[in-house]
Amino acid sequence: MSGLARTAETAAAKAAAGARSARRRREAFAAYLFIAPDVIGLLMFVGLPMCLALGMAFFEVDGFGGYRFVGIDNFAKMTDDAMLWRSVGVTFAYVGGFVPLSFAVSLGLALLVREPFPGVGFVRMAFFLPNVISLVVAGVLWQFLLVDRRGAVPVLFRSIGLGNVSWLGDPRLALATLILISVWFLVGYQMLIFLAALKDIPQEYYDAAHIDGASTWQQFQYVTWPMLRPTSFFVAINSTVSAVTGLQAFDLVYVLTRGGPANSTSTLVFYIYQQAFTYNHYGYAAAMTAMVVGFLAMTTGLLFAATRGGRFDTATR
Amino acid sequence: MVAKIAKHTGAASLTRRSLLQGGGALLGALPLGACHKSSKSSTKATELSFWNFYAPSEQFAIPSKWFTDLTQAWNANNDVKVNLRYVPPADYFAGTVVQTAFSSGEGPDIFLISPGDFLRYYNGGVLADLTPYLSPETIADHIDGVLDTRKVDGKIYGLPMEVEPLAMYYSLQAFEKAGLSEADLPKTWDQLLAVARKLTKKDQFGVLFETTPGYYQNFTWYPFMWMGGASAVAGPGTTGFNAPGAIKALEFWQRAVQDGVCPRKCQGDGGSDAIANLASGYCAMQQTGIWSISQLAQKAPSFPYGVCRLPVPDGGTYTTAMGGWAFVANAKGRNPEAAAKFVAWALGSTGPDGAERCLQWNTVAKTNLPTRKSVYQAAERAGTFSKGPLATFMKDVVKGGRGEPRYTPEVYRVVSDAIQACQLGGSDPAKSAAEAATKIDLFLKQYQGARML
Repeated sequence: MSGLARTAETAAAKAAAGARSARRRREAFAAYLFIAPDVIGLLMFVGLPMCLALGMAFFEVDGFGGYRFVGIDNFAKMTDDAMLWRSVGVTFAYVGGFVPLSFAVSLGLALLVREPFPGVGFVRMAFFLPNVISLVVAGVLWQFLLVDRRGAVPVLFRSIGLGNVSWLGDPRLALATLILISVWFLVGYQMLIFLAALKDIPQEYYDAAHIDGASTWQQFQYVTWPMLRPTSFFVAINSTVSAVTGLQAFDLVYVLTRGGPANSTSTLVFYIYQQAFTYNHYGYAAAMTAMVVGFLAMTTGLLFAATRGGRFDTATR
Repeated sequence: MVAKIAKHTGAASLTRRSLLQGGGALLGALPLGACHKSSKSSTKATELSFWNFYAPSEQFAIPSKWFTDLTQAWNANNDVKVNLRYVPPADYFAGTVVQTAFSSGEGPDIFLISPGDFLRYYNGGVLADLTPYLSPETIADHIDGVLDTRKVDGKIYGLPMEVEPLAMYYSLQAFEKAGLSEADLPKTWDQLLAVARKLTKKDQFGVLFETTPGYYQNFTWYPFMWMGGASAVAGPGTTGFNAPGAIKALEFWQRAVQDGVCPRKCQGDGGSDAIANLASGYCAMQQTGIWSISQLAQKAPSFPYGVCRLPVPDGGTYTTAMGGWAFVANAKGRNPEAAAKFVAWALGSTGPDGAERCLQWNTVAKTNLPTRKSVYQAAERAGTFSKGPLATFMKDVVKGGRGEPRYTPEVYRVVSDAIQACQLGGSDPAKSAAEAATKIDLFLKQYQGARML
């Protein structure tokens, strides 16, 4: 090949590379444009308020325009706040009850409605139905059902001698009742996520397991469960975060118990709400929020690191 | 392909530079918006907002009309107009709307507050002094003591629109069914529990006290504490909570729940809702306020009931708590002077129109006791207080009346925790009272706001 031809070939290669590079830039730019609305929205309505809230945590804010810099006093104050730590305890109990229960029930329901049978669409819809109504409305509904002695639930339990139980008025039962209502509300949504993941598992795996003589339990143990791990991880993280800071940790408490009886359902988000809007301690509320966000970010970060972003062993293959 | 689509839709004209320029312009506009807001607040507005919770709904049709008539009468004769804005009651009492508005510098020009909330707003510096706009005749016309919880250092920061005492309501049907008559109406705490036991059935409680934690529960519990001579704040810097009166009151509510004669959870809107509780047969006796007369008249007109005083502990002195909302003007609002003038005109006018307005509010729009002597006399002349439950309130219940205290949220919270811990949590009342007193003492030592009453 002559030198001229080589030069021409190099120039053509460079031109092709340049064109590829320009196309990549254009595509990247288009991609940025596509995600821009979400990014701008997140920055404006999540990122910016989070930064402002973190800044507010270093001030005493009275709610009427008064700001006074107090350094880390709001953070230091947390150590002596018994009610805060009690709310943390309530939140841990709520998470400890809600997350495993909703996980197990939703997975069980997904397995139940996985295969088609007459009316399966209706059954799936029925399980998901609570999710389409407002949590506040759901709370009011349950309030009626659980009215002491007269509600449908106490009347139902009367036959077994539990008619006088106060499901929302007894501090020993109120949190458990809230957990059950939360599970009832959210389980349909989680069931759909599991159902989608179950549908993604290739049938060949089950066929192979069947040929190998695997029982139903063994098929679940060695095929379904490992294949569901990324989804299980997502469901567990999602339900944990929503149990700590999500709507059901606040809305249900606000509608059903206002943190009572005797602070037994005063979750952390409800306590933060009270500090801000009942006591006008906005700075302190912001400091507690920063603590919660930091804790959740650290926990989820560690979990992501330990599970390779929820993909578990797939990254090592 | 993407580029082609972008070009086709015209988005291709967007460059990184133009995007950055656009973003910069948007960010630049934010402080300008803030400047606009501050410049707006520096001029005196000709339109004022009046936030209240009496929306023109089925529930509040009559009181709402009173508010509408009030603003229409003002707007017809004044350049500065007043516009009503409604906030749902639950949100107004314990929600975020009002607080968020103040936090962002967009608080209402005129609004309603209860004594329980007075210090929060006064200490926040948002209550305008109404004294310059009130004539000496107006101030003298107010019933003794009714302005006390709205005053600081002799200046008046709120004009009360009503007096709302608490009493015990009872169902005549429930009494008859239990073989009881009005002669059995309880006069002491022990009698109350004994009668409540007789009235308690499979699906009916003998008596009902508020169970949801909050300002209202504290308000309804205070009379029981006062009857034994205790007080959450006894004087400047001192608490009277760790006292036999408070301990007995905590014990009394605890016994009512533990004996199974009082529910752990109220129905409907809670202890202030006589329809969902008393009229529905959920309870046979209910502690609630004078407002329940109009509630029952409107929604359960055929329900037979009676009203009596709250029972007294052995050796105690009869006392009841008297609540009531007040009009206040925002000192940091758009036109505090006009807002204060409106408040003074609305509830403080001593002419025939002003007296009639207050009379209408207290006897037609709602059932309350008036705050002014002249209005009270007019109501008496009209025979409003001569019969029925209102007569009982006037002749009997109100005689041991004491204004709802104004405590800071911190003190309210400590008292609320003690009530909840004993009533529903089964805690030892003496221990709870002692712990609460320690916390109140600690707070009072560093408290610097207006005096708690």
